Amino acid sequence: MSEKDKKFAAALDSDSRRTPVRLAFLTRRTSPHVSVKDEPFVMTWPDALFRIMVAAQLVAIALVLVSLLWDAPLEGLADPLQTPNPAKAPWYFLGLQELLHYFPPVVGGVLIPTLVVIALIVIPYFNVNIQAEGLWVRNKPQRLRMLAIVTAALTVFLAVLKVWALLAATLPMAALMAWSAGVTPDAPNRLRRWLFSKPLSFWIMTWFLIQAALLTIIGVYFRGAGWEWVWPWSE
Amino acid sequence: MPDEQKQTPPVPQDQSSRREVFGKLGLGCMLAAGAGSLAFGYEFLSPNVLYEPSPITNAGKPDQYPVGSVTTNAEAGIYIVHGPEGFYALSATCTHLGCRTAWAPELGLIACPCHGSRFNQAGVKVAGPAPNPLPWLRVSISDEGDLIVDRSAVVPPRQFLRT
Amino acid sequence: MARSFQNYLGDLRESRVWQSIFRSGSGPSNLHRSQAIQQNLYLHLFSVKSRRSSLAIGVTWYLGTLSMVTFLILVATGIPLMLYYHPSVPQAYADMKDLQFAVSAGLFLRNLHRWSAHAMVLLVFAHMFRVFYRGAYRPPREFNWVIGVMLLLVTLFLSYTGYLLPWDQLAFWAITVGSNIMSAVPLLGPKIRFLTLGGNTVNANALLRFYVLHCVILPLAGGMLVGIHFWRIRKDGGLYSGKSGDESQPQVSQPHE
Repeated sequence: MSEKDKKFAAALDSDSRRTPVRLAFLTRRTSPHVSVKDEPFVMTWPDALFRIMVAAQLVAIALVLVSLLWDAPLEGLADPLQTPNPAKAPWYFLGLQELLHYFPPVVGGVLIPTLVVIALIVIPYFNVNIQAEGLWVRNKPQRLRMLAIVTAALTVFLAVLKVWALLAATLPMAALMAWSAGVTPDAPNRLRRWLFSKPLSFWIMTWFLIQAALLTIIGVYFRGAGWEWVWPWSE
Repeated sequence: MPDEQKQTPPVPQDQSSRREVFGKLGLGCMLAAGAGSLAFGYEFLSPNVLYEPSPITNAGKPDQYPVGSVTTNAEAGIYIVHGPEGFYALSATCTHLGCRTAWAPELGLIACPCHGSRFNQAGVKVAGPAPNPLPWLRVSISDEGDLIVDRSAVVPPRQFLRT
Repeated sequence: MARSFQNYLGDLRESRVWQSIFRSGSGPSNLHRSQAIQQNLYLHLFSVKSRRSSLAIGVTWYLGTLSMVTFLILVATGIPLMLYYHPSVPQAYADMKDLQFAVSAGLFLRNLHRWSAHAMVLLVFAHMFRVFYRGAYRPPREFNWVIGVMLLLVTLFLSYTGYLLPWDQLAFWAITVGSNIMSAVPLLGPKIRFLTLGGNTVNANALLRFYVLHCVILPLAGGMLVGIHFWRIRKDGGLYSGKSGDESQPQVSQPHE
């Protein structure tokens, strides 16, 4: 708080180190207030804890059934002399493995994951999505131009590097964004109106989610020996 | 009156600066101890003795490798190539992410199963994400006339051994 | 049957021993129900009251709860598995075969552990996306989101380190590839890889290090972060319900505790 907008004065004439004095400053601008009115509350015990127990039991039962029906994979003894073909990581790393197919390890294995983690951490600190204002609510022509530039730049970049898997998610996403932009509030299409109300952060996260899902699916189902493209039904 | 003066510190400035000095001293000691623990931790975590296979391999007599052949020595993880210019050895570990490559005679190429890198007989990458060619390893002839390959000694490409 | 099971339970709860353990006493009053939460070290992580709107399934899909349940299943199955497992080469693989064929219920425990691990990764990811799409990371909950990101990383590291332990082909080559990604880190990469594996190749030292990380260090780290994560939910004003009053501002006064 700068000197200028200080709306109070305080003075002490005792030795504050020896005789602590508690002071309350009341300023004119802000005051504590209750912003929630009539929110219905229930007792955590038993209402919430019972629901949690039911949820826990359902997932435990489901996992026990899965474990009774399917056995965990176990291959041959580890052999440093021979790499199985294809050598696949667990499914949640296959998106990363697919990226490593396109980019050098320092980009696909270090730079991209680190940037993703940093991006996730800073989300709440950069006021991302706090206003949650629809992307197209204001400055629509300017933002559409921005979208076109970013999409074109990404397309060129990914096409030059031949990263078709990333391109395959980026282009439909950009098309969807542009489609949602040209909507009027009384448009009959509900999906389109719903998309219109979504902020930029929604679009970025959704792009990331689709991208990650697509890479993982390609890695799991569409890669065979030598990490060559195969169709899952061509066995 | 003199007693009272003793009880209350005459200048409050002194007290806070003394506390500051001890505070900084304590913080400094903790930082030093932290740095020391890091150094010791690093030393402790790096094993000084490793029980790993020797990098030096005896590949047998040279005359068992016909000219134009690429032979996989799986245990050592190397290829012994007898080209027209002479012998050389390549590491069989992919330079991309360390998978074990395999010689594919039908293609005349060395192929990596993990991310699809391909190398030719000279170790030069022809396809895939590998950043570097397969390294050439030092080949020598022992006193008994055996081929000796040292996996830990990478030599510049196109150093052939003639017998 | 003059006295039902309920009566016996009631007597038990009135007994001196029970009341010395659970001080809340029994009864349907809100005071007793509050004390059931307040006077229990573990339940104290919850607030005494919860917003009714935040308990609906459609709000959270209970993804955070389910992640925690899978974590507990993993601890409960992992500890018995440790009793039949030697982290040495090649004994580790023989132990896998023993668990499969020689140990009673060994196969089941291993299956449950493996599938729960997959489920946990899936649930933690789903939880993260759900929290994002509902905007539940907004202030004052921003630091709890960061803890959540750390917990995601702990989850991934847990499953990565666990992946090596069976010492089969799948394990060996997944870790070989993963550890070579580490060495792509500029400057420090090869050192990090050497320290993680305890050698230049994936071998006995690497197996032992991954075992200690998987069974001791990472579960402890995860447990501590989960503690903070839950406690912060309460301190940040309870579960985000997305209702009009519960916007980005910290709640100054609420009927909590």
